[in-house]
Amino acid sequence: MKTDELIAVLAAATKLQAPVARMMALPLFGTVSLSVVSFAFFWGVRSDLLAALGSMAALKTLVPLVLGALAAALALALAHPTRVANGPASALGIVIALSALAFLLALGREGLAGLPGALSTPELLTCLLSIPALAAPLLGVALWGLSAGASLRPWLTGAMAGLAAGGLAAALYSLYCNMDMALFVLPAYGMAIGSVMIAGALSGARLLKW
Amino acid sequence: MRAANRGDAVAYRRVLTAITPVLRKVVRARGAGLGLEGCEDVLQDVLLAIHSKRHTWAEDAPLRPWLYAIARHKVIDAFRARGRRVELSIDDFAEGLAAEAGPDPTEGRDMEKVLGQLDPRAAEIVRGFGLHGETTAETAARLDMSEGAVRVALHRALKSIAKLRERMIE
Repeated sequence: MKTDELIAVLAAATKLQAPVARMMALPLFGTVSLSVVSFAFFWGVRSDLLAALGSMAALKTLVPLVLGALAAALALALAHPTRVANGPASALGIVIALSALAFLLALGREGLAGLPGALSTPELLTCLLSIPALAAPLLGVALWGLSAGASLRPWLTGAMAGLAAGGLAAALYSLYCNMDMALFVLPAYGMAIGSVMIAGALSGARLLKW
Repeated sequence: MRAANRGDAVAYRRVLTAITPVLRKVVRARGAGLGLEGCEDVLQDVLLAIHSKRHTWAEDAPLRPWLYAIARHKVIDAFRARGRRVELSIDDFAEGLAAEAGPDPTEGRDMEKVLGQLDPRAAEIVRGFGLHGETTAETAARLDMSEGAVRVALHRALKSIAKLRERMIE
């Protein structure tokens, strides 16, 4: 086929796909609802939730939520060539840096020897399994939606989608989890969210190619 | 392009016709080893990508950087994938000799292969627009379909074509 003929075909195809964000909105809302309902069903909130949310432990919910929202904005921008999202990108960097700093401070206070003690609890496995389980459907829908975009860096877009799904799942899980020590929360949540992020990067590299 | 994304076929055709020579020059400058036909295939890949991803361009954003980003991505991709089967023909060595009338340099090869794999009715619709310059109404009348059905079928056919070509160069 000649290129001029191809142009004639393309020009006749005036049906335009919906914007990525609009296309994703409803399925994503459905999946979030599904995650919330299955969380309520299989996990349930901790008994002292109100007291916890009034204390520093509220950060356990807030920080992953902010992290997830920023990563979601970034992933969506990355699916659109030339769209810049410097605001969310730097905010994301700051939140991650502050979390790392908080971890180092907690480590400095309790000493390196406190870390194995804080992490040697069956809660660690629950955390490392629950967050990815809650995140998986979200990540799946996010990658499906983003594949309608045009990501120039598929693995990075996938990683951001993973961070968004992992952050949201962690925020949800934190309502169940009654471990509030910084030396547990920061490394455990970090590892759990990180694993979803890695899964997102690996699958994004394949699924977001075009 | 703004009008094109709102369904103005004439405006869209004008945009595609205007950018094609520029894109062709870029592709040929980079892909000397692919031969003219190979370059034309890459160019057609780029045009298909621009078409299938045009909803990722925001109306209030400048068009040129977006086009450039899409084209660059697709050209790099195509050359990386085709690098393994770079073809050298005798013509490459016969520079300066009187050239015989070669095949039409705007003719691509991949498209025919892909159309062969498409379901016959979809391929027929694509050929109707491409080779015979039909309008939606004419295709609809010829194939006894509604115009809406033709539009949807064409949209789907182009999606399959993009997918098949992607698989072909992998």
